[in-house]
Amino acid sequence: MALALENVKKTYAAPDGTTVTVLDVPRFEVGDGEHVALVGGSGTGKTTLLHSIAGIVAPDSGRIVFDSENATDVTQLSEAARDVFRGRHIGYIFQTHHLLAGFTALENVLLGMTFTGRSPDRQWARHLLEEVGLGERLDYKPAKMSVGQQQRVAVARALANRPRLVLADEPTGALDPNTAQQVLDVIRKLCREVGAALVLVTHDPSIAQQLDRVIRLDELNRR
Amino acid sequence: MNFFELILKQIRQRSLSTILTVFSIALGVGLAIAIIVLHREGQHVFGQTDYGYQIIVGPKASSLQLVVNTVYHIDKSPGNVKWEVLETLRKDPNFRADVKQAIPQCVGDSYNGQPIVGTVPQFFGYDDEGKRIENTEDDPNRRFTYRPGQSFEIAAGRIFNNDKFEAVIGSDVSAKTGLKLGDTFQATHGFPQPGAQPDVHKEKWTVVGMLKPTHTAADKCVWIGLTSFYTIFEHAEAEIQRNQLRTGEKMGASGGEDEGKKHYTVSPDGIITLDPDVMAGREISAILVKTRGSFNAMRMLTTVNILPDVMAVSPAVVMRDFFSNFLEGPVTLLLVISCLVTVVAAVGILTTIYNSVAARSREIAILRALGATKTRILFLISVEAAFVGAVGGAIGFVLGHAMCAVGSGYLARTLGEPINWVKVGPEELLYLVAVVVIAFIAGLVPALKAYKTPVAVNLVAL
Repeated sequence: MALALENVKKTYAAPDGTTVTVLDVPRFEVGDGEHVALVGGSGTGKTTLLHSIAGIVAPDSGRIVFDSENATDVTQLSEAARDVFRGRHIGYIFQTHHLLAGFTALENVLLGMTFTGRSPDRQWARHLLEEVGLGERLDYKPAKMSVGQQQRVAVARALANRPRLVLADEPTGALDPNTAQQVLDVIRKLCREVGAALVLVTHDPSIAQQLDRVIRLDELNRR
Repeated sequence: MNFFELILKQIRQRSLSTILTVFSIALGVGLAIAIIVLHREGQHVFGQTDYGYQIIVGPKASSLQLVVNTVYHIDKSPGNVKWEVLETLRKDPNFRADVKQAIPQCVGDSYNGQPIVGTVPQFFGYDDEGKRIENTEDDPNRRFTYRPGQSFEIAAGRIFNNDKFEAVIGSDVSAKTGLKLGDTFQATHGFPQPGAQPDVHKEKWTVVGMLKPTHTAADKCVWIGLTSFYTIFEHAEAEIQRNQLRTGEKMGASGGEDEGKKHYTVSPDGIITLDPDVMAGREISAILVKTRGSFNAMRMLTTVNILPDVMAVSPAVVMRDFFSNFLEGPVTLLLVISCLVTVVAAVGILTTIYNSVAARSREIAILRALGATKTRILFLISVEAAFVGAVGGAIGFVLGHAMCAVGSGYLARTLGEPINWVKVGPEELLYLVAVVVIAFIAGLVPALKAYKTPVAVNLVAL
């Protein structure tokens, strides 16, 4: 098992003083190397779920366990430990590329390796960019690339540390259908290459149905 | 990409604001370093205690003026003492025990802006016959020294004959006036202001020697024999009138230089013989005294000052007092101002990075999402600030020393004594460390803002 969530709850204080529950997931599991699509409308807690899994936000209660053999419950980790764990074991792809403007494609991928405590693997970074079809654009800065190319660099960056899990938050949401398909293909291809599980949030049924399993978030999240 | 490369990248992204910040730090640091160096090296030049002589005897007047005029050859001479004072120092049993050497100097004329000083060959370590005075085992201090262990050396030609119209020139004089060996020149009375009609004396001196550089004010002087100095008409007339005053004779009216009146004769071989009236009225601007020891110097300072119209001063003490009384305050004030400039520059770092952090909340959120801890972000921003401070400090350090190089050139031209602007003192390094620490601390403010940047909010807002 790559990931298991148990009774994960997250609430926020609303401006009127009331407490709003945005996440209440009794159980959610992702198998090793499994590619899961999460679908749901706006405000169903998709991003909060991904942030909780990634350790960007801490749930109020519940367990989020990685790797059933060497179990790590990220809810038990300090914020700094969650940051380090995320850097080493989780790849994150955002809806927009979130590349650093002053860095080239290669540097953006290397940046993904900077905070792991390991030596940056330049050769692997080049390989990833070649795999996403940008081998000729290693020294291009984001402004010189198309939206699809930018998103492909973001995919390469997410895979830079050979993560156990890739979280993709509507990675094709801002792309045209052709480019969206290309990006999905490279995500899945690279996840398979490193053996990473994938949790991909999408609105697009045609994207979702290509993955191993589709989960409707409004059924998963009982808030 | 390592941590430092990441910092450099971040800095390069805001190169203009970084350059401006570095520039403002460099100015503040440059100013402070220049003041530190000038203060330290100025103290070394002005407050030096390593004179080759211990006492300067001159008229009762401003001790500072006497020292500045005698040692640095600037400002006007405070007046003269009678020739008898020199004789007393050399021959009186009360002083002979203390005085090892007493060297007279007369000033008041110039050549092309360079001071002309009348003295004796012994000042340069030569006897009256022009032979080098050699130190011996019994007396290792026979030769007069301008600094401990350092006596004048002739670079070309020979020492002047005290009784002839001959001169030796300091090492800087040739470049400043064009004088060279074998040239003749005429002295100008005083130091005429630009545009003023110079009063050129009719006597002509021949340059017979050039001195090696001493890196003292002596390098800018034209040195002539004391006897020849008294031949100058005004000097001779003054000596005669003083003698008449002294002996109670009726003072005669000056004949004027134009009438060709002279108070000396010159033999066919060029030897000058002064008229008895001139000889009797001779006066001296200052006497450099090398004592037999420090105790003798202390005793002389007391005993000479008992004499009427004469005072003895220690140049080291006078210059040290001058430096601490007159220069210490302004220098401290300048140092405080330059430190304030540095602090203002540090605030500039704070502002620049603070603003950049506000603009970089997205980038910081991305770095956090990629695994950078809050502490890492705090460190990243603070080190960036310290790096900007260090670069500004390094440029300022070079700038400060460059300013001192310019100042050194000015001092060399005016005082004849450059400062060691290359020397780096521990206080400078301490100051530079302080600049980096201040910059680091200034960077902590925006770093704390970055530290508190909510990752989830900034990622969602994108």
